[in-house]
Amino acid sequence: MSALEPTIQTAEKRAGWAWRPFALTLPALVLLAAVIGYPLLTIVLRSLSEPEWGVQNYAWFFGAPVNLAVLQRTFTISAWVALVCVVCAYPYAYLMTAVGPRVRLVLVLCVLIPFWVSGVVRTLSWVILLQDSGVINSLLRSAGFAGIRLIRTQTGVVIGMAQVLLPFMILPLYSVMKGIDLRLVQAARSLGARPSRAFFTVYLPLSLPGVYAGAIIVFILALGFYITPALLGGPRSTMLSTLVQTQVLSLLQWGRGGAMGVVLLVTTFLLLALAAPVMRSRHREAGRR
Amino acid sequence: MLKSKLAGLGAVLALGMLTTTAFAQEKPVAGEVKEGSLKGKTLTFVSYGGIYQDGQVAALKEFVEKSGVKLLNDGPTEIAKLQAQVESGNVTWDVVDTGDLPPYVHCGKLFQKLDLSKLDVSKIPEGQVGECSVPAMNYGVVLMYNKEKYKDNPPKNWADFFDTEKFPGVRALDGSGDPTGGLLEQAFKVAGGDPKAMTAADIDKALDVIRKLGPDTIYWKTGAESQQLAESGEADMLMMWTGRAMTAVKNGAKYAPAWQDWLVVMDQMTIPVGVKDTDAAYALLNAYLGKQAQEILTQQTSYTPINNDAKPKVDESVAAFLTNTPERQKQGYKQNIKFWVENFPVAQEKWSALMAGN
Repeated sequence: MSALEPTIQTAEKRAGWAWRPFALTLPALVLLAAVIGYPLLTIVLRSLSEPEWGVQNYAWFFGAPVNLAVLQRTFTISAWVALVCVVCAYPYAYLMTAVGPRVRLVLVLCVLIPFWVSGVVRTLSWVILLQDSGVINSLLRSAGFAGIRLIRTQTGVVIGMAQVLLPFMILPLYSVMKGIDLRLVQAARSLGARPSRAFFTVYLPLSLPGVYAGAIIVFILALGFYITPALLGGPRSTMLSTLVQTQVLSLLQWGRGGAMGVVLLVTTFLLLALAAPVMRSRHREAGRR
Repeated sequence: MLKSKLAGLGAVLALGMLTTTAFAQEKPVAGEVKEGSLKGKTLTFVSYGGIYQDGQVAALKEFVEKSGVKLLNDGPTEIAKLQAQVESGNVTWDVVDTGDLPPYVHCGKLFQKLDLSKLDVSKIPEGQVGECSVPAMNYGVVLMYNKEKYKDNPPKNWADFFDTEKFPGVRALDGSGDPTGGLLEQAFKVAGGDPKAMTAADIDKALDVIRKLGPDTIYWKTGAESQQLAESGEADMLMMWTGRAMTAVKNGAKYAPAWQDWLVVMDQMTIPVGVKDTDAAYALLNAYLGKQAQEILTQQTSYTPINNDAKPKVDESVAAFLTNTPERQKQGYKQNIKFWVENFPVAQEKWSALMAGN
């Protein structure tokens, strides 16, 4: 930390130059306003103005049990996906920091290569693996076990989505873990901490910002998933995006589709706002230690 | 004497030919294209891509070469996109291939009412010309069953499909989007109702019959998925599009069709409201309806042609799933289009609730 302080001070001294970074972000801000801000505004407006001005679309959304059930399911599935990603990505990202450059390159490639393959292709491969007559079930049966239903279940959807989203968890985790000074763990060990204690009180708290960052990215991306739940899931794992698609593309109810999008967005913000204090306090605590 | 007689005959013949041409100018003949008539013009044709649109483009090749038009392709067809074009007054899609119902649901609003004096619809199978559409091709939704599972006692119709006691096994239904009216009518019949007298409230009764199929029921999202379900043997009885059923059987799936009450469905050809050159769009449609164009379409896509004179050269496996033979025509079941158009939003809403697990 102390190495950073002089820079901060000089920046503060030259307060007149402070607007410069903002000026540099102007192109990005304009782009964001054009490709996110404007369409978003249109969606909000249409949700309130079609077919006539009022909140009828929102009344419809909250009046139909199927919408609420699917909204809740969308959040549940996304939370599971984030959890599975954390569990799978954490040891992997740690391994990436622990090995030499050559093995690390292999590990990075293992993460990135599936990332470059289209999500549809990966999802279809999961169909082949998970289906009742698929690879996993035939292996189970030939080993004398009963087959298990994986495809068209929420489990199947979570597995498929977690695999597609795993890179978004591993990369932020790795970038945080890379910055953790392993001498801190050594110091803890030299002061008599058992390995597990050193991990839980020193390493884990320092890596939490990466866990939070990755989990939030995965969770938010998962909320909008369409193809994977459609192909791997059944009716009981339909997510909100599918319902939006029906309203917009099939019924031409753009107002309703817009209202569903707005509800999802607002609910997501609310959840993140609730989670933020928890994350911040842990973070500070970790910094203090 | 002889000479003058011949000359007279020639004159009569010439006159005859002249009148025929004059007649042709007034009354279009399906498949006929006037040389160079659309030189310098551009038409955008929209369909669903894949081998289907490739086949349609191949069917239109002669039209493009003769008329001199520049044909652009776009897709897939999305009614929401078309609506945006019509609303903004900037329609760039000139001829649009759609599903069964949209031309009826949005007739006059998104799709032009067709002027039948500009088209030759005389060779189109009976009852398929709508106020805003002509058919693009015919196909069917057919019950396919696993031959090895049901052996000597195969299901014969949709009543058997919905009877899980007499015919245990996993069912697979079309969950790709819109509800299939014909299937709901068949389900309503199983519930003891008369499809001819169906009301909006009866849709629930039909849906309950489908719900009773149980939690193992598969709703396939794409035609490819339905084919995969048959080829891997995941489902014992499926409702399938004939094109996909044909390909699955060709690929070795041990499944057979039960043709009784196969559901008649088709794609439609439409001209959107507000296109820049309506006459050029009509010319394309008229060429598309021609005998030769339809033969090419069937040979390339295995869909059934919509020109009664068309005699496509196809192999046995394709011929087995063509739906225009007299026998198939007798077995086919036509949905009550008027009912489904009027109740489209209700049916869609209820269907998507079923699709979302409720």
